[in-house]
Amino acid sequence: MWKNSSLRCLLALAILCLRSLIYSQEIGSLGDPQNLKCVTHNLQKMLCTWDVSSRGRRGQTDFCYTTNDLTPQVCFKTKERRVEIPIPESSITVTIKSSGTATKEFVIHQKDISFVPITPHILSLMPDFPTSTLNLKWSDNGSVFPYGLDALWQIQILRKEPMEVVTQVTYYSKLTHEDVILSWNWTSDMPLECTSHYVKIRCYINATQFVGSKDWSDWSPTEVIPGKDTEPGESGVFPLDPVVAVGSDLTFCCVHEEDQRITNMTYGSKSYTMMQLSSRSHAIRVLNANVSNSSGTNVVCRLENAWEGSVVFVGYAPDTPQNLSCETPNFLIIKCTWKPGRPSGLYGERRTKYSLFERTSGRNVSCEVSGLNKDHVCDFPVLPAQKTYDFILGVSNPIGQAKSSLLVDITQRVHPKTPEKLTVTENNSTSIQLRWFINGSFAEIRLLCQLEISSSHSERKLQNVSTPGRKSSTYTAQVNELHPHTKYQFRVRCSDADHFWRWSDWSRGVEQTTSEAPPARGPDIWRERSPSGENVIVFWKPLSPSESNGIIVSHEVSCYLLDMLLEHKVVLEPSNSTEIKLGKSDCVISVVARNNAGSSPPSRITSVELPSDNVTTDQAVAVGNGINISWDSYPNMTCGYIVKWCHSSGSEPCSVDWQKFPSNTTSVVIKSALFKPGVRYNFSLYGCKSMGYQLLKNVTGYMKELPPKTAPNFIVEETSSDSILVKWEDIPIEECRGFFKRISSFLCKGEKDALKPRLSESGNPELKVNNITDLTKKSMKILDLQGKTSYQLELQAYTAGGLSPPNSLYVVTKEDSVGLIIAILIPVAVVVLLGVLASIFCYRKREWIKETFYPEIPNPENSKALQFQRNICEGNKTLKTLEMNPCTPNSVEVVETQSTAPKIEDTEMMSPAAETTVPEDGSESEMENHVVVSYCPPIIEEEISNPPTDEPGGSSQVVYIDIQSMYQPQIKPEEEPEIDLVTTAGYKPQMQLSISALKIEGHSPVEEELDKTAGYRPQANTNAWNMGTPDSPGSVESNNENASFGSPCSINSRQFLLPPKDDEDSPKPINTAWSFTHFFQNKPND
Amino acid sequence: PDVRADDGDPAGDSWGIFTFLCAALCNLPALPALNCSEELGAGQSIQQTYDLTRYLEHQLRTLAGTYLNYLGPPFNEPDFNPPRMARAERVPSATVDLDLWRGLTDNARLAANYRAYSRLLCYLRVLDGQVGTAELRHRLSHFCASLQGLVLSIGGVMSSLGYPLPAGPVGPPGPPGASAAPNDFLKKMDDFWLLKELQTWLWRSAKDFNRLKKKVPPAVVTLRLEARGF
Repeated sequence: MWKNSSLRCLLALAILCLRSLIYSQEIGSLGDPQNLKCVTHNLQKMLCTWDVSSRGRRGQTDFCYTTNDLTPQVCFKTKERRVEIPIPESSITVTIKSSGTATKEFVIHQKDISFVPITPHILSLMPDFPTSTLNLKWSDNGSVFPYGLDALWQIQILRKEPMEVVTQVTYYSKLTHEDVILSWNWTSDMPLECTSHYVKIRCYINATQFVGSKDWSDWSPTEVIPGKDTEPGESGVFPLDPVVAVGSDLTFCCVHEEDQRITNMTYGSKSYTMMQLSSRSHAIRVLNANVSNSSGTNVVCRLENAWEGSVVFVGYAPDTPQNLSCETPNFLIIKCTWKPGRPSGLYGERRTKYSLFERTSGRNVSCEVSGLNKDHVCDFPVLPAQKTYDFILGVSNPIGQAKSSLLVDITQRVHPKTPEKLTVTENNSTSIQLRWFINGSFAEIRLLCQLEISSSHSERKLQNVSTPGRKSSTYTAQVNELHPHTKYQFRVRCSDADHFWRWSDWSRGVEQTTSEAPPARGPDIWRERSPSGENVIVFWKPLSPSESNGIIVSHEVSCYLLDMLLEHKVVLEPSNSTEIKLGKSDCVISVVARNNAGSSPPSRITSVELPSDNVTTDQAVAVGNGINISWDSYPNMTCGYIVKWCHSSGSEPCSVDWQKFPSNTTSVVIKSALFKPGVRYNFSLYGCKSMGYQLLKNVTGYMKELPPKTAPNFIVEETSSDSILVKWEDIPIEECRGFFKRISSFLCKGEKDALKPRLSESGNPELKVNNITDLTKKSMKILDLQGKTSYQLELQAYTAGGLSPPNSLYVVTKEDSVGLIIAILIPVAVVVLLGVLASIFCYRKREWIKETFYPEIPNPENSKALQFQRNICEGNKTLKTLEMNPCTPNSVEVVETQSTAPKIEDTEMMSPAAETTVPEDGSESEMENHVVVSYCPPIIEEEISNPPTDEPGGSSQVVYIDIQSMYQPQIKPEEEPEIDLVTTAGYKPQMQLSISALKIEGHSPVEEELDKTAGYRPQANTNAWNMGTPDSPGSVESNNENASFGSPCSINSRQFLLPPKDDEDSPKPINTAWSFTHFFQNKPND
Repeated sequence: PDVRADDGDPAGDSWGIFTFLCAALCNLPALPALNCSEELGAGQSIQQTYDLTRYLEHQLRTLAGTYLNYLGPPFNEPDFNPPRMARAERVPSATVDLDLWRGLTDNARLAANYRAYSRLLCYLRVLDGQVGTAELRHRLSHFCASLQGLVLSIGGVMSSLGYPLPAGPVGPPGPPGASAAPNDFLKKMDDFWLLKELQTWLWRSAKDFNRLKKKVPPAVVTLRLEARGF
């Protein structure tokens, strides 16, 4: 089959070639019709055209065609060279005969016919400037085709000068044998106002059955949307005030007058590069726009003499509202709240707007929300007979919209308003009534209200009250079981009792103090016989606030003896004891506490004290936080035990405290916040019998033992040469601060010396320690001491808490008299004995002594007198008087004190090594820092004698260059004379001395004198130094400025010969000396 | 004409004072509408108006800074100086030639001030309604209240000097929407000009009131001078 068709194709191709050969032959014959071309626009008829030579152009043409042999030939005459004939099914034979030419026959096959759809026409092109959208409408001309076909439409959009294709799209449609208006929208990335936009369209119909060549139609005529740049006088920035989403790419253009030059275009504060759209329009492109500020971002086009602008609002589409929640505070309105989420960044009329739509009722409420609150609130009215509300919260802004929905039964979403007008009224001392008001109609529900009852000495209590709701009404509740005489704070909050949703806020609190009631019980009492035994002191403990039920004003104490009132006493507060004169008799004491509301029940106690035998006194120290007291069980103590103690030890009247214990108790721990460490407490245990109370035991106790405050005071009662007797006193109980354990004494040899360490800590090996544990002993004898020796004695007391500070004493033992006597006598006896022996010896040998030492005829050799003479001559050289040595006579030079100092300096400065030079720096400021090089006093003397007019010397003609800086100093005109002098103070070569010296000879004798010194001369013009002398008017203060120069320099090395230190140190005094001299010498002149 | 209180003669001093007091008492009912109290009011109210103008000048300085920042660049740029557009003429301009302004009578100047501030106030109130941020709105309304005070104060000065209040467009110049700028940029430009004009007006008013203050002497002196005239 396939082979067959291809074979056919080949055949057809061969025939075509053959025919074209024939055509070519035909073309060759001049004047014949040729180039017959047939085009169809609608697949039903075709338009055939042909060319003829110039000869055959005039006149009619006979045109015949036949589709096949069976149908008759159709002929007609035409003056034009085009005919419209039906499209043959396979082929058509055409014969054309123009006048004056030969008849020409053409065979046209279907495949030779080309199909070009009719050029489409744009019906309308509508711009939408705000959205920059174009709407294109055209007819598809479907009715011209015999059957439905697929059509392709190519649309081209152009803009700019010269035109550029912006976009080219292909649009598909189906032709349905009838004319259909097609529409296509296109959104431009550039505002349509910016420049003209051109649109054209063409079409291609995909006729599959048609075998001939198919082609696109011609382009339709161009339609244009003129931009603002074509309108005369139009200018501005476009688009005008758009609202766009964050991240958009934006194009702005500036349309201006033809002759106006555009300076720049900015978006916000940033300048963008412009692209030219036309001679009157320029554009910028902003990518990825950020959120604009609250007044919008300005797009400004700056022209030569004008400003054009637009404001763009860049923001976000609204966020979906979150946490939408609706509740009613009063069954009149429904309050819906939500979180708005991300801010849109748009304000004013472009802000996000909210509306609440209720679906059941179809009611819509627009919400006014302030942007300040985090949570947005919108009120919706409660509709009659509607419980369930289906809310849709719609959110919209120019960029987009969102919504959130909520289905709510408002009877289950009751959040009552804060209760108001809370008042309290008292029923009695333990009961009050509260009243409050809630605004709202709660008739359909029950309210659950919570009362908060708080007072300073009880925990916060909550009491719930359920009450049927009413319409804007007052609610009451009663609070019982209050304590009398107590300040209470009340507040209330409410909620829905059946469907709890939320508590209202607490109401404002109210305070109420309940009235007083009689004290709940009688006070705890105790009695004691006074030391004299005549009276009974009655003690009572104050009642706690919860028991007193008011302010206790007094206690009534009565004394009964067998129902006979012996005594009645009213004791006003704040006394907590009273004394009753009873003598030796006993009675039953009754105490009643009384407040403004009434009296307490009486507390009774008998004054009878049963005699007790062998009462022991124990010692007790607290273990933990209380003092433990235990006793053996006393079976006959029927009504319990009482432990009584005193809160202050010592002689002062103590405040008695006591505690009662049941009769089966044998051990108690007494605790009290008043117990202090180091204080002795005496506890007494009483047993209670029906007859009275019996003292059973005493206990002395400490909360905690502390070291004694002081050591015992002691005295030395007796001293012997080898022992001392020490006596001490007891330590007072208050200073003891614990149970006494022992007393230690420390003894050591030692003089009185405040700096000595404590004996107990000194570790002295000679330390004698005695411990006395027998506390009844009050004295001690210390033996084995040395006579007439100073001892240091220290005493310290010990308790379980530690040892006391030492008490110290110095004692000197008495001397041993026998030993002393012996010590004196023996040496005296020895001396006497020796004396006697010597006398005897001398007496016996007196002749020999005389011969030896004092003979009657003296021996000259042994003469002492001559020896004496010789010694004098040899020994003392200072006595030489006639020595003639060559002698250098000393001379004394008397010098004036003023010039002494400079003179010394001069010699130093003039030493040949110090070939000095002075920097020739003319600046005054620097000179200040420089050092004075003072040469010699004669200079000064001379200068003073010379009048200042002599100053400009011959040498000042020569300008010397500064060695260091090698520049010639600047000379300011006004400073010229001074500078001149300064410059002459510069360096001068030493070798030219003779010449220059000669020149200046007459002027400065000083220099002349200096010239005589071998080759050296001073490097400073001494005349210049004089500038600052006080004799020149007003130059006293300028002394330092002119009289200072740099460090001397070596010519060869250019190094400073004097170290900088010298600059500061040594020459300075010279300067002062120098100036001082002047000061004094010139004083008379002034 | 006899009254010469400041005569140099020491003996005539007490006599002069006595005569002056008598003359003053005699002339008291004849003084035009007992001007002394009104003159006292004029002097004081001119001073107060001057003070208020200076205060507003100061207040505007900070407000304008904030507001121009709110408008964004280029309005807050120091070198922003656009040519005054034709539509900005709606705001009364203070750019009258200074010599021309000085040549006006006090009455005319005060009336011009009064009219200008009345209109500026109207525009300022429109401005207040459009501002997006609450803080700026608050400051604007505070400034409006102060400016309202200035308008009333100028009215007070005028009436105390015996000038009639200008009958001109005291009320709003028409619905704000009608003359509102066609786009946001022009609206911002209007705001800019409004602030600029306000600044110029306040500056000039301060000068005006200062001059007026010197011209209208303190009350006591006025009384004496007038009494001397009789």
